[in-house]
Amino acid sequence: MRRVALIALLVACGKASPPAPTSRDELIAAWKQAGLTVSSFAATQSPTGKDCQVGTVNKLDVLVCSYASPDDAKAAQSGGLQWVGDTTGAAQAHGALLIAVADRHKADPSGKTINQILKAH
Amino acid sequence: MRVITFLIAIACVVGGVALGDDHYGRQVRFAGPHPIPKSDGGGMCYIEGPHVHIYAANDLEYRVEGPDHVFVGDPVAYGFDGPKYAYNGPHPMVVEDEDGEPHTEYCFIDGPHYHPFAPPDGPDFKLVGNAYFFVGNPPQAFIDARPKFVGINTVYQPIHYARPVVAVEAPAGWIGARAEFEAPGVAVEAPGVAVGAPGVVVAAPGAVVVPPRIGIGIDVHVPPPPTISVGIGVNVGGGILVGGPGRGPHPGPPPPRPRGWHR
Repeated sequence: MRRVALIALLVACGKASPPAPTSRDELIAAWKQAGLTVSSFAATQSPTGKDCQVGTVNKLDVLVCSYASPDDAKAAQSGGLQWVGDTTGAAQAHGALLIAVADRHKADPSGKTINQILKAH
Repeated sequence: MRVITFLIAIACVVGGVALGDDHYGRQVRFAGPHPIPKSDGGGMCYIEGPHVHIYAANDLEYRVEGPDHVFVGDPVAYGFDGPKYAYNGPHPMVVEDEDGEPHTEYCFIDGPHYHPFAPPDGPDFKLVGNAYFFVGNPPQAFIDARPKFVGINTVYQPIHYARPVVAVEAPAGWIGARAEFEAPGVAVEAPGVAVGAPGVVVAAPGAVVVPPRIGIGIDVHVPPPPTISVGIGVNVGGGILVGGPGRGPHPGPPPPRPRGWHR
């Protein structure tokens, strides 16, 4: 599948990408450190993966699944979009983790918080 | 067999399962920041990677790249508050897939406008007066695609926003002076503009400026000669200068080429 990114000169673009989080706990800690309000995360049954937990971050529904490899996490992105459903959201692999975010309550009209969730690590 | 295929298709639709293009139900895939339709609240969506919404992307401001719609218009017109770089006239834009393979798309916005990225390094763009001018040789695909996408100008014409101010002469070879890329209906509403002989079409630099529609900080000045050479072997007296105070792009040379609209 081809994914395309415009070559943009964003403020942080000259910097190297931060390392992908290695664990869900690390990811959640990064969100908290970024000032996001993070609920507790609970295990959930999901067709997206066997090791998934759901919670909320700044009133956005968030699913985090852990996989054996980054390739497995990437392959699960489309399943993450299925979890998002008919609303604004995203599902992106970060290392061996899949992060899916769904704005089911229209809490983030500009998408800035979703962006922060996906990049804050 | 046909019946089975049909039933499978129906089951997929009812179950909200993707039919091979990686989206579900009513989802529409986007990549990178883009405007939000007024009917859905307006403004900009700032999600940088691939994501989904439940509204459509139009054919003029987006290009379809794989499963995603990528916005190629001027985000500042929609209130974008990120970095912006001024361009004047049509130009190619480089996109790359997640594997780093470059793609080329084309912007057909006439006159001054913004994008949130600088052009790639090289001789095809000249930064003059804080705006990038495409001075390369347009590939045939660029010319061929123009009729399909030039209608994007009708999208931006009625939008009131602070466009970049381009107060310099276009460099030699600027695409806006090429016959294939003449801005339709060059409208400079200022007295004393004398455009040469009949049959001479002048695509003056930054001339697609209709002051009442531009908004704050844009003036059209008509200085006395000398003239503007429009790069097609015709000199037109009067010299059209689009100037005045306004927001310029980021000064200085462009930073190194990163991957933007991170995916």
